[in-house]
Amino acid sequence: MSMITDEHIAYISRDLHYRGIVEEHIQHEMLDHLCEQVDANMTKGQRFIDAYEAALISLGYSEGLLKTQSLIIKSEHSNSLTMLHNYVTVALRNLSRQKIYTLINVFGLAVGLAACLVIGLYIVQEFQFDSHHEYADRIYRIDAHAKIGVNEFDMTYRSAVEAKDLQETFEEIEATVRFRQMGSYLVKTAEGNDNVKESNVIWSEGTFFKVFSVPVLEGNAATALSQPHGVAISKRMADKYYSGKSAVGQPIILDNARYGIVSAVFEDMPATSHFHFDIIIAFNGDWPIAREAASTDYLTENFITYILLKPGADARALGEKLPRFIKQHVGDALARAMGGDFSFDKFLEQGNRYSITLRPLRDIHLHSNLKGEFEPNGSISYVYVIAAVGIVILLIACINFVNLSTARANTRAREVGIRKAMGSLRIHLIRQFLTESLLVSSAGFLIALIMAWLFLPWFNHLAQRDLNIPWASATFIVIILMSTISVGVVAGLYPAFVLSAFNPAKVLKGERIRTSGISAFRNALVVGQLGLTVLFTVVTLAIMQQLRFMQHKNLGYEKDHVIIIHDTYALRPNNVNPFKNEVLNLQGVSTGTVSGYVPVEIENAGRNNNTFWEEGKEPTGENLVTFQRWSGDHDYIKTFGMKLLAGRDFSKDIKTDDQAVIINESAARQFGMKDPVGQRIVKFDVGTQGQEQQQKWTIIGVISDFHFTTMKEAILPLGIFLGNTDGSVSFRYKTDNPKELIAQMENVWKRLAPNQPFNYSFMENDFANMYQAEERLVKIFTLFSAMAIIIACLGLFALASFVAQQRTREIGIRKALGATVESILLLLLKDFGKLVLVAFIVFSPVAYFAVSSWLSSYAYNPGIGPSLYVIPAIIISTIAAAAVLVQSIRAATANPVASLRNE
Amino acid sequence: MQPQAMATETNDQHSSELLKGTLQIIILKLLSDNNSMYGYEITQRVRELSDDTIVLTEGSLYPTLHRLEAEGLLKTETVQMGKRIRKYYSLTRQGKKSATTKVDEFASFVRTMSQVLNIKVASAT
Repeated sequence: MSMITDEHIAYISRDLHYRGIVEEHIQHEMLDHLCEQVDANMTKGQRFIDAYEAALISLGYSEGLLKTQSLIIKSEHSNSLTMLHNYVTVALRNLSRQKIYTLINVFGLAVGLAACLVIGLYIVQEFQFDSHHEYADRIYRIDAHAKIGVNEFDMTYRSAVEAKDLQETFEEIEATVRFRQMGSYLVKTAEGNDNVKESNVIWSEGTFFKVFSVPVLEGNAATALSQPHGVAISKRMADKYYSGKSAVGQPIILDNARYGIVSAVFEDMPATSHFHFDIIIAFNGDWPIAREAASTDYLTENFITYILLKPGADARALGEKLPRFIKQHVGDALARAMGGDFSFDKFLEQGNRYSITLRPLRDIHLHSNLKGEFEPNGSISYVYVIAAVGIVILLIACINFVNLSTARANTRAREVGIRKAMGSLRIHLIRQFLTESLLVSSAGFLIALIMAWLFLPWFNHLAQRDLNIPWASATFIVIILMSTISVGVVAGLYPAFVLSAFNPAKVLKGERIRTSGISAFRNALVVGQLGLTVLFTVVTLAIMQQLRFMQHKNLGYEKDHVIIIHDTYALRPNNVNPFKNEVLNLQGVSTGTVSGYVPVEIENAGRNNNTFWEEGKEPTGENLVTFQRWSGDHDYIKTFGMKLLAGRDFSKDIKTDDQAVIINESAARQFGMKDPVGQRIVKFDVGTQGQEQQQKWTIIGVISDFHFTTMKEAILPLGIFLGNTDGSVSFRYKTDNPKELIAQMENVWKRLAPNQPFNYSFMENDFANMYQAEERLVKIFTLFSAMAIIIACLGLFALASFVAQQRTREIGIRKALGATVESILLLLLKDFGKLVLVAFIVFSPVAYFAVSSWLSSYAYNPGIGPSLYVIPAIIISTIAAAAVLVQSIRAATANPVASLRNE
Repeated sequence: MQPQAMATETNDQHSSELLKGTLQIIILKLLSDNNSMYGYEITQRVRELSDDTIVLTEGSLYPTLHRLEAEGLLKTETVQMGKRIRKYYSLTRQGKKSATTKVDEFASFVRTMSQVLNIKVASAT
């Protein structure tokens, strides 16, 4: 029936394209129309060529066709909604025509945005800390800063009496609340029950619920902490210990000794709080801490004090009055203690300092890192680093976007030329290109949201947070929409203007568009992108190296094969030594020691500083040495394997060892002693009647310095004294099966300390825990630098493919003239190689600066070696070369006949 | 932009001036009588109905179709026909309403004109 054949149709289709019908939908419609007409003509007996000629007459040949096309486009644009529809249709068509390009663009953007989104949520939460308190803007913490002799203190600890005097002195203070940390407690609800160890326990007073907005679910907030032996507990605790009944009024037994009554149940404190108390014990009553809270001694500083200002009170003005307050109270107390002609002014003149400042509640989380924080706080510099990481990743993703779009400029030049020749206004073209980039950015955002959602639980685990994507938040949705639009517009703007600025006459004549400016810009962007990747990789490597350094550095003692049994005060009063001796009898245990401190940071092990001077010298600022006073038994040094440099270890046969001390090298250095063994050191002490007295110790040995805290800190002076502090018992073992050994130890424990929790740890694990922050940092940085490398390489891959495409003819000619595949590959690689090189040269100093400033926060670090640069160089150039090669090999191995015929 | 009805002027064909403005009505009316039509079909049907006196040119027909589509009076459907793609036009709900009123308006216009010019025409619609 139909006279027209597929060849005819193909011929007409080609002819239409040749005559300049470029709009796909118009071409389809014209083709159909012409075919019908030609078919009708052929049915009347005409040959195809005549039939087609006749049909073209009625369409008006090229001129008529182009005019029709232009009229159609104009009528379609007569309605803005249709115009938008049209832009979108055309954009989708363009995007789907270059699937790889679109995929890389969308995926690269999505990865970058997902990273940014997660980082954004994290940072927002960092800044929201403690803002849930109703009076957050009126609550301040009292921080203390002191320099006495060579020792400096920045701490939260204040005397018990100061809060009361502050409130009496300054009328702008509405209320004060004090805290006292005593570490963890053993908790049980009735005699005979098993004890459970609780860590988030604090002592406080009646004003707590008034100052801080912690909702009380049960009990009376006003009196809960004013009644003697009152204990307020969190909902979590109430559910744990008193499930199924009302907790208020129930007994709670702390450390087997303090019989409290639950007086209130409060809501669990949110993650964005700088403290998370589960149990708050009232100061009131006859307990030792309560007596301490009533002390009037200004020189015993154990309490953390918060003040609530009256509405409208000026915190700065109050801060300026504090030095006088300190002089009056602390100065007097010091004068009384020192006696003689001591005066506070003279004390300050000698270069000493003593001041208190007000720290706004909401600043604590990000800006405060003093001694005596409730929990490890965040850090503003960490927030800046993370924010920078997010911005850099977004930047890399956006650079990709711009690069790929401008790289496409050449391939779309013809389209632009024809569109302009047909009367498309420049603004139409800009809109068209912006629509395309907006579509890509929308898709990118959508995928990014999904990726972030999938990835958040994992990030939460890593960063120890409870972040959620706030789907229901209007602000969040507005921000996402705005970002989608601005990323789309910003990323699409440059290509839009560059492409739309082409001169149609030149483009259509086949003249090469001058793109040197564009490609220089593009190269600069690629260098920037690669450089940022270099930065990331170097920093990641530096963190890894530091972590490895800290984990493997010689510590000065043997951390492996040591089991620490914690909270051995539960064995009181008589069972500590029997426990040690019974465990020592077990198979596989070589030595053991009862001690107050162990040379690793563990929970509840606040260090204790004392100030000493050398006997025979005046105790002035210069001669005073503050060092840590550790107590251990005769086996301490043997068990931990510290090296004795001079003198001897404690001996059971020498009675005077009660008055002996073994110091470390640092202490000897600080005392300025050449031969310390045999010398004596002195310390002030308060006697049983409260009178001043001096206490003396003989140095019997010097041990080599060992790391007892993180390597951020320099090794401090330290002395080991014989003593019966029973914080923990540590055992060195020789067996390969510590599990069985622990089971045996637990049996001994259960017999000697019935109903008490048996807590143990391996010293090497405690050691590893000190570097959890660094390990998290390594994980986070590895993750983000992997992302950066992926995005950058995707970009490089796509860019290489465009370059190879553009140089198809050149490659064809070179090959036809006898160039080998290898020489062409080298040619293509050389260009990208240059970019990688420039990126390295430009960004290495930046990386050096970043790494060295980070390393400077560690007293012990391995420094910056060449491997820090060589390894990233190898990684990045290998990946970049691979990305480029994949594309280039295809171009280089193509048959030159095919590529040249195409032109 | 008004579409131009550019009929090629040959013998027995109406001048383009007269056809100006009527193209829309012709398309709407044709589509309200026939469910859906494609471009070539419309030109042929008009030719048949007008006994070859009205020949729609592609240059006027297609822009008008696209404009009506843009205005929401027409909807389209494409059908793959072997190597070709055919685009069928049909009236939207709004298009149907518009077709009725426009044809009515035109009929009353013709009546008025015939009255003014004192000529007799066969009744429209």
